[in-house]
Amino acid sequence: MLYNETDPRAVSAHSDQSGDFRCNYVKGRSITLKKFKKITALLLALALCLGLAACSGGGSTTSTPTPDAGTEASAAPSDTGSTEGTETNTETTNPDDIPDSMTSSDGKYQVAFVTDVGQLKDKSFNQGTFDGVKLYANANGLSYKYYQPANGSEATDDDRYDAMKAAVDGGAEVVVCAGYLQEAALKRAASEFPDIPFIFIDGYPISDDAGNVLTNVAGISFKEEQAGYFAGYAAVKDGFTKLGFSGGGGGTNDACCRFGYGYVQGANAAAAELGTTVDMNYSWQYGASFSASAELQTMISGWYANGTEIVFACGGSMFQSISAAASANSGYVIGVDVDQSSESDSVITSAMKELASAVQWAVGHVYDDTFDEIGGVGTSLGVADDAVGLPTADESWRFETFTVEEYEELYQQVLDGTLVVDNDFSKLETTEWSNVNLNII
Amino acid sequence: MTFLIQQTLIYAVPLMIVALAGVFAERSGIINLALEGIMIFGAFIGVLFVNLVQQAGVFSAAKDANDWVALQGFMILAMAVSALMGAVFSLLLSFAAVNLRADQTIGGTALNLLAPALVLFLIRIIANQNALQMAEGDAASWFMIKKSFFGYGRSDSMGFFGDTFIDKTYLATYICILLFVILSILLYKTRFGLRLRSCGENPQASDSLGINVYKMRYAGTTISGALAGMGGFVYALTTANCAATGDVAGFGFLALAVMIFGNWNPLNIAGASLLFGLFKCIAASYSSIDINGDGVFLLAEAGISPHLYRMLPYLITLIVLAFTSKKSRAPKAEGIPYDKGQR
Repeated sequence: MLYNETDPRAVSAHSDQSGDFRCNYVKGRSITLKKFKKITALLLALALCLGLAACSGGGSTTSTPTPDAGTEASAAPSDTGSTEGTETNTETTNPDDIPDSMTSSDGKYQVAFVTDVGQLKDKSFNQGTFDGVKLYANANGLSYKYYQPANGSEATDDDRYDAMKAAVDGGAEVVVCAGYLQEAALKRAASEFPDIPFIFIDGYPISDDAGNVLTNVAGISFKEEQAGYFAGYAAVKDGFTKLGFSGGGGGTNDACCRFGYGYVQGANAAAAELGTTVDMNYSWQYGASFSASAELQTMISGWYANGTEIVFACGGSMFQSISAAASANSGYVIGVDVDQSSESDSVITSAMKELASAVQWAVGHVYDDTFDEIGGVGTSLGVADDAVGLPTADESWRFETFTVEEYEELYQQVLDGTLVVDNDFSKLETTEWSNVNLNII
Repeated sequence: MTFLIQQTLIYAVPLMIVALAGVFAERSGIINLALEGIMIFGAFIGVLFVNLVQQAGVFSAAKDANDWVALQGFMILAMAVSALMGAVFSLLLSFAAVNLRADQTIGGTALNLLAPALVLFLIRIIANQNALQMAEGDAASWFMIKKSFFGYGRSDSMGFFGDTFIDKTYLATYICILLFVILSILLYKTRFGLRLRSCGENPQASDSLGINVYKMRYAGTTISGALAGMGGFVYALTTANCAATGDVAGFGFLALAVMIFGNWNPLNIAGASLLFGLFKCIAASYSSIDINGDGVFLLAEAGISPHLYRMLPYLITLIVLAFTSKKSRAPKAEGIPYDKGQR
């Protein structure tokens, strides 16, 4: 029976009566287990601490100390030091220097922004719109806050409505809603809160269920076809002969459709002037949710690998996948909505809409008590309002042969009406393009 | 052809290395259902590391000077960090499965639920949005190997081999393949590997021969966690422009499928992931695949609906599984908590 003491397992298997032995064995095991538990708990706690430390390290670089909203909201962000310089100079303020989140002293947020699908910091549509909110609020000492509807790109109308209601409950005096997807939620919210002005970016006037136009909704849209035209024209004039277009929204987003239709018209016109023919891949695939994906990156890589030189990345976060593909294949990208040239060296130009200035313009109407001018009607902003175009600053202008002068000449033609860019994108597929081989994928 | 091979590798390599991660855990007797969760966590850690180091400006000089060797070192460092934290994360599973003898399927599922939530929560705190990206530039311009590094011009060719396996590739891909080979040898040709595998087949017998089953299971799951964490980062790096979104498009679960598909055997797993990667690549880029370079895009001109191409990877997996699953043999003791007293 000697071995029993050294190998308790043998005992427990051997005879069920030897309870003492087993008890000892279990006890011994539980002691080592306890020790082990302690060590593991310690390790895990350590890991957690490390993780949190890393996060707060990362966080501190993005969040700036809370400005005292009530009094000095217009001060430059506090990381610049003293708060005495309160010049309200919108021209020179970089929206990126204004914190995304601020804490108001009374817990109310006067200017609210409800985001579209995709990221707040998509460096495109949402961010451009929010920049306008921040700039206006910052310049006029107002508090502001953004609300992201729950469930990300799967957000439902209820989620959007909840975000709008949260904004109103949060003391909003004006709610800026970005994206045409908000229509149904906006209808409900605007009917429920008739005293709150809503600004519907990329939108149109909305009627309630009884058919009455909701006068507290201002629909702001853009003549995207003009910006798209400039981009397509410039690209072909600069010598590109194999173009691509990758659009978001799966072909159901009017703004993206107008961009694309204008782009083809511009490319066609430039090719006709040069007497050449250009090829274009035109696709809505993998863009339905405006998000980046491995599949989109592979598809666009395939285009570049087969000779496509430049792709118009028409949709928020899709830019990530397309610029990654361009960067890997030494190709070029046309950005959208805002000047995206700082995102990647591959961005040759951007088809811009002046979201930030349109938002400031519209919010300004609310605070000037002239909201009735834009409420209940749709305003379409184009070249005439200085609301669309290409960025012409030196660091953003990366064309080699196409010059700013040529661009301004073209811009002038659109401005004075000698050149009209069609916006009926349903004709895209039925038109016989004289100088573009359109390959719709 | 070059394009097809490169893109296939991009899809296949994360699958392959994560499937091997699954093998290590299961061969030691622990079902690691948490592969997806660990991948998500590893991707987040790797991207966070890249982001923080970029903000600290450690490698900015190297980037400005086009010192690509230093940048590759940076990438390897990020891979190592994500592997380390993946291993730490997997300790949660080992602890539950080995010490607490919890149901391993439940434990793994818990981690799968925990990881995306935790990661999104942290990303929200850090970046104020749903995606954490690089602080500057994009993945390709920082980490991709290009022919210009070797003095080739824009239109020069490196020959078929160079164009396919050197130009426009990530070193991470080859590190993963190398690790795959080394670890497969470790598992099948060394004493440690034999002991580990024995713990997944008959732990009582192993214990009677003096092998510490608990330690072996911890070792298997920790290696598994490290590989999955690294695989997650490699996935984010090569296919998501080095962005973490609390999502790896189900690659962790696909890796589990590939593991079963490959019958817990590295060679079969490599084949299975290449097959899956190939069809995944065809699905996304069928319209621009020109197999023999004669300018005829056969797949695009065949007039087949794109939806069919997108189904292909899954259809093929189903079909092959239907034919091979009869022979599939899981480690005998996997999923059963080891109890010393049990006979």
